[in-house]
Formats: sequence, C-alpha cells, structure tokens
Amino acid sequence: MTETTNRSILVVGGGISGLSAAIEAAEAGCQVYLVEKEAYLGGRVARMNKYFPKLCPPNCGLEINFRRIKNNPRVRFFTMAEVVKVSGSPGDFDVTIRVSPRYINEKCTACGKCEEAATSTFPNPFNYGIDLVKSVYLPADFCFPLRYVLNPTIIGTEEAEKIKAACPYNAVDLSMTPKEFDLKVSAIVWATGWRPYYAEKILYYGFGKNPDVITNVMMERYASPDGPTRGQIVRPSDGKPVEKVAFIQCAGSRDENHLPYCSGICCLASLKQATYVLDQNPEARVFIYYIDIRALGRYEDFFVKVQSDPRVTLIKGKAGEIQRLSSGKSVVQAEDQINGIITKEEFDLVVLATGMVPSTVDGELPVAVARDSNGFLLDSDGTGIIAAGCVKQPVDVATSVQDATAAALRALQFTVRR
Amino acid sequence: MEPKYVSREMRDYIIEMGAETITWCMQCGLCTALCPWRLVPGETSEKFNIRRMLRLGQMGMEGFEDETVLFACSTCGMCVKNCPRGVKIIDNVRAMRASIVGGGGVPANLRPILGSAHANGNPWAGPREKRTVWQEGLDVPRFSPDTEYFLFVCCHSCYDPRSTKIAKSIVKLLKASGISFGVIGEEESCCGESMRKLGDEELFQKLAQSNIELFNKKGVKKIITTSPHCYWVFTEEYPTLGGEWEVIHYTQLLVKLLEEGKLKFSKEISKRKIAYHDPCYLGRHSDIYDEPRNLLASIPGVELIELDRCRDLSLCCAGGGGRIWAEVPMGERFGELRIVDAAEKNAQMLTTACPYCMNMLTDACKSLNKQESLEITELSEVLAEALE
Repeated sequence: MTETTNRSILVVGGGISGLSAAIEAAEAGCQVYLVEKEAYLGGRVARMNKYFPKLCPPNCGLEINFRRIKNNPRVRFFTMAEVVKVSGSPGDFDVTIRVSPRYINEKCTACGKCEEAATSTFPNPFNYGIDLVKSVYLPADFCFPLRYVLNPTIIGTEEAEKIKAACPYNAVDLSMTPKEFDLKVSAIVWATGWRPYYAEKILYYGFGKNPDVITNVMMERYASPDGPTRGQIVRPSDGKPVEKVAFIQCAGSRDENHLPYCSGICCLASLKQATYVLDQNPEARVFIYYIDIRALGRYEDFFVKVQSDPRVTLIKGKAGEIQRLSSGKSVVQAEDQINGIITKEEFDLVVLATGMVPSTVDGELPVAVARDSNGFLLDSDGTGIIAAGCVKQPVDVATSVQDATAAALRALQFTVRR
Repeated sequence: MEPKYVSREMRDYIIEMGAETITWCMQCGLCTALCPWRLVPGETSEKFNIRRMLRLGQMGMEGFEDETVLFACSTCGMCVKNCPRGVKIIDNVRAMRASIVGGGGVPANLRPILGSAHANGNPWAGPREKRTVWQEGLDVPRFSPDTEYFLFVCCHSCYDPRSTKIAKSIVKLLKASGISFGVIGEEESCCGESMRKLGDEELFQKLAQSNIELFNKKGVKKIITTSPHCYWVFTEEYPTLGGEWEVIHYTQLLVKLLEEGKLKFSKEISKRKIAYHDPCYLGRHSDIYDEPRNLLASIPGVELIELDRCRDLSLCCAGGGGRIWAEVPMGERFGELRIVDAAEKNAQMLTTACPYCMNMLTDACKSLNKQESLEITELSEVLAEALE
C-alpha cells in the first residue's frame, strides 16, 4: 500500500494532542494519517476519570472526537502502529509505518466469546497493572476502535486455537504478521505524549513495596467507573474503602535526583483527586503535602475551593519516608512548616503525585528533532516536523488541545508552501 | 513575640566558612523529614530541625548556635543524597559549626577531644608513643619506599581496646594474602575527618598537613584505610590540600584479593545468620555497598540478612559528625533501632565495616541487653576467623 499526495500530513500519537491535530487538519481539507502505538485512540486522557477544574468525565469529549474521525473520510488512522523510518524533506517526506498484528480483524463485534475461552491472564496495561486481563481482551470498556486484542505471547499455544474456535464471526486471525507500508506526506505532527515518572525510583516512598502507596495515574483508574474497582477508591492491600488519604506533591518532581522540572499539572490533579475521595466518602479526610501549590491562572479558584473544605488539610513540607505499620496503615512523616511542628500521620492510602516524562526521553527517534536535556522535543521551525502537546512540555488537556490546533496550522502550511 | 534580626554579615561569614550552597535551598523540608532524628523521641529530636537550621544560616539569624541544635547532625548524608536541589547540607552544617567553634565556642564535652587531637594527634587521649601498642607480638611490617601499600589504621583502632581487634584482624588478612604493606607508626596523625565536621577547621588543616607531609616524605603511593571515615577524607578532601594517593578501603582490596585467589575464606565460623549494617561513610558517602556483602557471602555457611533500612536508605549508627563523643540518653540512640531490627530478623551477629559503627552498635546492644543473642563485630574480625 503506497499513498501518494503532497497535500497530506502524518500525525504520530493518537492521544488528545494527536487526535486534535488530526481532526483540525482534516476539517481544514487536508488528508491526514494518524498513527497510534496502542490498540486504541485517546491515549492517557482515555484513562482519566475527570478533568479539572470542571470535574466532567473525558469520555464525552473523546466521543465527539471519535465521531469527527469516523465521519471524516480525510482521516485514516492506524492503531498498534509505529513510525519506523522518515526520509525526505519538509513538504515531501517518505514515511515507513509498521503495524503490529492485533490477531483480531474488523469482523470483531466485541461480543466477548473469545475472552470466555481464554485462560491465561496478564497485568492490565490500561489500568497500570492494578488488575489482570485475559490473553484476549478489550483494551477498555469504551475503547475506540471497539475491538478485541490478542496477547502475542500466546501465539502458537492451544489456548490461542481455543480462542479462535470460540469466535462466532471468524474474527480471530492467528496468521497475522507485522506489516509495513510507506506514506508520502508534507509534514509530520509529533504528538507521542508522556508517561508517568517511575515512582519506584523514589526509594524512600516505598512504591512497589508498600501496596497502599499508589501513583496519581493509578488513582484515576481506581476512581473511574470503568476502572479495576468500578470506581471504588479502596486500599489496594485489602480492598477496604479509604477514610484517610495522603497526596504527596512533587514525588520525584522539581528534584535534581529525579525530574528537575515541575510538571505543572500535579497540584491540580491532586486537588481534583481529593474531591474524588470526599465525594465517595463525605466522612473521609485528605492531607496534601506540598512544597508550593502551583495552580496557575483561573485554576487558583479551584485551589481555593478545595483548600477551604475543612476535610482537606494542606501541609507545607515535602514528605519524607513512608513507613508501613503492622496495622496496615502507612505513616507519612513531614514537617508542617506553617506551624513549625514535625507531623506523623497514619493513612489508608498514599497517592504520589508523580510528574510527566516525555515519551521521547530515551532511545533513537525516527525523526531528526532536537531534544532538551529532559527529553522534551524542542521547537523545530522549518523542519516540517512539529511537536505538539506533552512531548514538548508538560501541560494539561486544555493546553494540549490548543497546542495541537496550532501544530495543525503549521503542518497545513507545509502542504501548500511548495 | 521578640523580633528576629537578619544579619547579612553573619550569613556571609557562614558562606565564607564553606556553606557555599546554603542559598540553593528552597526550603522544601525533605531533609528534615528524612533525618534519622525523626525515628527517635527526645529533646534533641524535638529541637533539631535541619531545614530550620539551614534557614537560620541562610539569613544569618540567631538560634542555630544552641549546642543541641548545632552539634546534633551525625552527617549520615541521607538528606544530602536526596536533596532536590543538591544542597551540600553537611558542608553547610560544618561551616555553621566552624563559625561558632572558630570563635572559641567549643562545647565543653568536646574540648578534651579536640585538645587531645591537637596535642597527641588523636582524639582518644592516647599518647602519641602508644599509637603502635596494638601491634605488639604481631610483627607488623614497617612502611618503606619499596612497600606497595601504606596501611593507615584509624586512631580508634589504635587506642580503643575493643577496636584494636579490627587493626589486628586486617593485618592478619593482609599477611595471609601475601601483599606488600606496612605501617608508618607513631608519626601518623588522626585523619581529621570528624574534627573538621565538628567545625575545628584549624585543627583539621594542621592534622591534614602533618599527614600529607609525612606520607609524601615516606614515599606513599597507595593507602589502605581501615575506616570509611579516613577513606572518605583521603579521597574527598585531602586531594585539594595536596594529598593525592591511590586510596582503597580494606573491603575493596580484600574483594580484589579474593577474586585473584590470594585470599580464601574456607573455614566455617561460629555464627551463621549475619546481618550487615552499611556505614554511612562507606555506603552513601562512598557508594561501596557490594564489596562487604560479597566478602560475607564468600564465607561457607553464612546467611546474609538485610536490615529493613539498607544500602542507600541505611540508618546511621549515630557515630559520625563528632556524635561518637555525644552523650545520648537510652531510647534516643539510632543504634538501638539497628539492634532491634537485627534481633527481629533472628540475626546471630550484626557486622559492619567501620570502627565507629562497631562502637555505637556495641553500646546499643549492651543498653538493650542483647549481648547474649546478638554479637556485634567488624567485618575484618569475621573474615579473619574464616581464614584457614
């Protein structure tokens, strides 16, 4: 399959930035190819429970975007796909795309018969490994495209054959192989997003050892109605509801030993997650340990609102070690600098507000774009490769959408400049 | 409430004494929250807040000169290792102490210690001519220009009766390996590491210069240290003063000799379940974590037990930064937490690779009355016992 047109652009990454860039460019009349490495579109946003500050779920916005893609013949998207090679020059790029086998074809109706036949399980990547998925699974309840995926590690096993036999629609195709194809495009929007910082690197917080220490992205999954606990915020160690929760800001951020920068969104995320806890259990108490609360612009109002809730205690002081007691409670130790006292509080659950690491932090990139010392893509005017969203700097969803729209415009300029 | 006054002169003086990074601090408070003092109760724990102390220093404000505050830090390095801004907190503490000690403000309990170091070249009130008494009957080789390694024995292991066993064990091990080593003897002086940490900069300079001149005059090229404190100061602070040699801690050398087949620990020893305590100056300060563990693991039948706080997160014995001379009430000693941890893990022995740690852990073990069930040793003693 070779597509040739110099009026087309490639968008790499199907998260909120990539989706926005792709739709905006297509609706301006441009042919757009969208490449996503996961089996579904929506990226990190699809795994959020609610947006701050309005506290609405991201599903409706994503649904609208998915509909815009479905209704627009000028967008072609590929999931489980990656860019392997880029050559050429601005206005005239040759791109090689590799698509990994899904082993489930377009006949899939998501009926779930295959899943019933599956026996082995794996950590669920969508839920950051909180629960397990079968070897053939739907990435998420509302995923787009709504189609199953088969774990490649079971290819060649009896289980795979049983799964194939269980499908009434002949949608399981175990003979699929990786496919490569070439595209010709005028510009490339690089919107490959971010991943959470590896919290286990912050040794003194015990993430990975203490089961009741989780990260903020995991909290989104616990709180989500389609999450591993169907929206119940519980203690991972025993599944009991939580009454007292700590949020630890700057967990690995603004820290030379970890991420030297501020991710800008974690304060708002924790303030938002505090409302999840209190909405579920009005008797609950929340402690937020911080260096500074960074709520910029209009977000100050949201900060003030949460801060004024008597059930929320803000402690100015970076939390030290988290110790697990034999009772199962976790003790957070910190200095309360406002009151000049050392505090030790027991919690059911501790949430680490980890920052954003650009997906481009390590490894070779197929495109020649300069990166800063933290791996974020630098502005590359004139190269025809335009970074958008969190791969460029840590930003919230609204800013990602704005940045993606700007990136779409710059990409469009390359399609007409020649 | 009394007004507090900011003194730019005081701040500049502290910075001049070596607190160059004190202004980097953003007051996040991680240092205070990770400080081992948080793990024990008592007056010092309540008074000593390193974040606050640095803030006072930043502003040149009064309040840090209270002995309980100024001399509480054991320089374990937990805060420095994890400081988000890379503030050299220990250097700042040292400079703040120096700003007081330099003006004659030495706490009463430290006067005889510093006085002995001035007069005898060691802080243990031992006469200089008795520095080599521990060597009697051992036939310890003298260092000469043909000797490969100069063995520098920590003052503690020269004078403290319990600690001399470390020096003797290391000599036994080195002799068994057949390598060329020797001591200089009475002319050696304390490395000065703890003196400098106590803020006596003048004394440190005197001790360091005396050692540097002596070692260079004798033709020293390579040094084996018995203590991680001497190792650290020789590698980190002596080079800028003109003392540049190849320095190795004895555990590093023994691992090398073990790998080369020059040493073998083939004899089973009396205890099997052995917990290892990482000394701050060997671990966090010098990144030597594996060598002592590898040595222990090479002894037949030994089961190595890891304490809850180990390696990077190791809990200090409380003997660094001059704290080895501090009087601390029972129940407030960090070492007691190590003893409890080792005992809970059913260790028969708690070993370490530092004379100060051995000293502090031995005291803690006694105060908890656990000597019957838990033996405290220094690693060299264990290794010497395992020699055929």
